[in-house]
Amino acid sequence: MQIAVKNISKDFGKKKTAVHAIKDISLEVEQGEFLGIMGPSGAGKTTLLNMISTNARPDHGQIIIDGLDLTQFHDRDQAKYRRNKMGFIYQSFELLDSLNVKENVILPLALNRSNKKLIEERFTYMMNLLNIEELSGRAIDELSLGQRQIVAAARALINNPEILFADEPTGSLDSKSATILLNYMQMINQKERTTILMATHDAFTASYCSRVIFVKDGVVFSEIVNPGQRDKFFEQIINMQRTIGGGDYFNVSQNY
Amino acid sequence: MYRKIIRRSLSNMRDSYLIYILACSFAIGVFGILISMGDNPSLRNALRLWDTFIYDITVTMSGLFAFCAFVYMIYVGGFFIKQQRNEFLTFEKLGMPRWILVAIGFFQTAIVQALAWLIGIGLTLIFQKFMGMMLFYLMGVRFNFAMHISLNDLWLLLEIFVFSTLVLSIINAIKTMRILQKKQRKVIIKTRWWLRIPAGAFGILLLFSAQICTFYLFKDMRMISYSSKPLIEIVYIMGADIFGTYLVYFGFLPTILNVMQKIHSVAYSGVNIFSFKYMKERLFQNISILWFVTELSALALALLTFCYFGYQAVHQNYNSAYPFELAANKDTVKVIREELQKNNAKIKGRYKTEVKINLVSYYSKSNESYVRQPMTFMSYSAYKSLPKRMRKGNSKINSHQFLKIDYNSSLMYNNPTSEHNIEVKNAPMIQDAKMGYSFPYGSSMHFGPMMIVPNKYYQKMPAEVKDTFYGWDFKKGDRLSHDQLERLGGYRDAYYMKVDFKSSLEKSNIEVMKKEPNKYEAATYTQAGFLRQGNLKKRFNQGGGFYLFIVALFSVALLVALGSVLTLRVLLRDDYQSRQLRTLQKIGVEESEIKGIVRRENTLTFLIPIIFALIQSYTSIAMFDFGHHMSKNIILIYGGYVVLYSLFGVISYQVSWRGVKQKFNL
Ligand SMILES: Nc1ncnc2c1ncn2[C@@H]1O[C@H](COP(=O)(O)OP(=O)(O)OP(=O)(O)O)[C@@H](O)[C@H]1O
Ligand SMILES: [Mg+2]
Repeated sequence: MQIAVKNISKDFGKKKTAVHAIKDISLEVEQGEFLGIMGPSGAGKTTLLNMISTNARPDHGQIIIDGLDLTQFHDRDQAKYRRNKMGFIYQSFELLDSLNVKENVILPLALNRSNKKLIEERFTYMMNLLNIEELSGRAIDELSLGQRQIVAAARALINNPEILFADEPTGSLDSKSATILLNYMQMINQKERTTILMATHDAFTASYCSRVIFVKDGVVFSEIVNPGQRDKFFEQIINMQRTIGGGDYFNVSQNY
Repeated sequence: MYRKIIRRSLSNMRDSYLIYILACSFAIGVFGILISMGDNPSLRNALRLWDTFIYDITVTMSGLFAFCAFVYMIYVGGFFIKQQRNEFLTFEKLGMPRWILVAIGFFQTAIVQALAWLIGIGLTLIFQKFMGMMLFYLMGVRFNFAMHISLNDLWLLLEIFVFSTLVLSIINAIKTMRILQKKQRKVIIKTRWWLRIPAGAFGILLLFSAQICTFYLFKDMRMISYSSKPLIEIVYIMGADIFGTYLVYFGFLPTILNVMQKIHSVAYSGVNIFSFKYMKERLFQNISILWFVTELSALALALLTFCYFGYQAVHQNYNSAYPFELAANKDTVKVIREELQKNNAKIKGRYKTEVKINLVSYYSKSNESYVRQPMTFMSYSAYKSLPKRMRKGNSKINSHQFLKIDYNSSLMYNNPTSEHNIEVKNAPMIQDAKMGYSFPYGSSMHFGPMMIVPNKYYQKMPAEVKDTFYGWDFKKGDRLSHDQLERLGGYRDAYYMKVDFKSSLEKSNIEVMKKEPNKYEAATYTQAGFLRQGNLKKRFNQGGGFYLFIVALFSVALLVALGSVLTLRVLLRDDYQSRQLRTLQKIGVEESEIKGIVRRENTLTFLIPIIFALIQSYTSIAMFDFGHHMSKNIILIYGGYVVLYSLFGVISYQVSWRGVKQKFNL
């Protein structure tokens, strides 16, 4: 077991208007697992990922990765840990407008002061793999939303992180790019045993996972393990979404 | 709803508004103090001596001050509207009528101004007494400064408040309007390297040549009275400095950053990959402001230098004219002693020196002609026994050397040359004499130049006239009353010397007359009977204090203005710029490294102007303090300026880091 989340909770806002984003979630993730996190908008998926990735501190509870209690870490050590072991694809991409595509993608390597040859090698490799070589000199604000997302993915994957956090990685992609990215994620998951935590609305995307948990109103509602067949798993996810939604307003957007 | 928008935008830019409001209220406070000081009754009572002078000066100064502050407010107030551009554009897209947005721009400004005025008037009320007491202290006046603000002044302040707020709000409303009309988001900065690189190189060249020219100015400055060379040099230096600095900011600094960013081994390591580009972007945005601040700082330093040396010159002149509070000669000493006894003056020190007056002739270098005149001689030991301050402007001599003391032709510049081959009647020729311009007993006690000679020489030399000088220092003044002074009036001139020049010095002689000769002839000299500092001392001290007060006030105000402009420029980043720092944190850049970026940004913004300003203001030292040493006090003044200025840098760094950090924890 690589990641153990124990009874974490998180509130936002002041007393009167407080939002209980995460109420009480416990979770275990094995090394090399591809975990999907699903749930309606506002369920707390992003918040959960942020806390596991040490971007936000939980109000209560512990997060233990590789036997280390990260909630006890100083901010500085958390940042170091984050930089060395984790990769991120954020829902809002979080690309740097001042830098061009190439600089954005190689940023994690540059931050670790890798040598220049390795940087160039990895960069060419990633760009080829994701089919975006022609973007390399462009400025960020000239890109379409989908292009930004794929660039953000390239950045997350360039330094072979041990744990990859992906928040809606396919939300703005066309199905071809989405499939390429998901296949690559699956590949590194299987070959390099990268642990992946991915939040998504999309049942097709979720069907790449080995396990999916459903979050609703700040708690884990249920979970499904991939039986081995993607079609069947896909069905199961769709069904579960129906159950959760229960004709609820959010349900509409999540169905095909 | 609209109230909410205003409130939100005020609280969003809290720190920046706070700094702006504080800077404004400081200006308003100073303005209020200046205005109300002018007709403060205790000031009037204490400074009768000055008549309406103080009032006139404070009114003029406060006018000038108000004008500068107003320009500052227009300029800086616009920052805030610019900052809200995106917000306004979004509101408009959402269908908010344009006039409401314009009204929001208007009222926002009005509210901020009103706040600033409220605090400013408060400052006036609180600090008026303090400032008044400080003024009195500086002027050396022992008088209680009573707080006072007349209704007239209050009314005036109110009028100015209404008027300025109205104008500022309208200006900002117009700015809002223009933002809404010109929709395009941000002006893309053209890099134009083909222009920047040569411009930067040329700028460096200009600055270099200006420095070299300054070096020459140090030497050439003493020719100012008869050659136009120094003036041309000064004009050239000023032009080269001003344009060179701009070109360097425009071309050279971005090029340097660009080159560093191109060298991948430097740029692709750590946060440099981001920070170089970020700095470059910020630099591009701030070029004109940095330049503006640089030039104003240089101007401020130059003015401080000017004020300092001006004050020094006047002070020196005053000191060499009146080294003793009271001085007399052998003819008047008796009367003056009697008068002093009558009013119980507390004497702190008394001095007495014998002098001989003899005839001399020599070739004067500064006049480029032969001079024949009477000269006062004093022995070395007598000279040495006088208080040190009498020797301040003179070259140092030992007991075998000669020192010629003469009137200084110019206020600012002393020419430390020496005089040669001075013939003295019936005494050996003086081959070599050093120069000075501090007359013992004051220049007005003497009719001509003076010579300090070795004791032996003095004892052996004959005298045409013998005299003795007396000097007194008092505790709390000589206390001579008006009546006493009137009585002493008749003793101002002790005696007159008519010189009869013949073909040789030996044949010439001096005729002493007690009565003033009817017809003034060319060769008649007057020996003063007594010399008194009296009112002049008071006037001098008070004027000096007042001068200091005004200069200090203005420099501090200028510093506050410049510092706050820079701070605000740092704080008011574009939205996307501050978001980037947050992004860096999200992908695992350590907080200390992001702090490092903020620090570098602040350092760059504050360090560049002060360095260039210091380089430039060096010239102003060359103009006044050429030739010899750098004066300690000037270094102190510059140091003080730099320290206060860097205080702003530190504050700006702290506040801006706080702002960035706040966003981290969202
Ligand atoms: N910074 C914040 N301040 C206040 N409330 C927040 C903040 N971030 C999230 N929330 C609230 O916490 C809850 C969970 O938000 P979260 O972003 O985790 O949802 P999500 O599951 O990722 O939704 P989506 O599918 O839209 O991405 C929401 O109700 C949201 O309003
Ligand atoms: Mg989310």
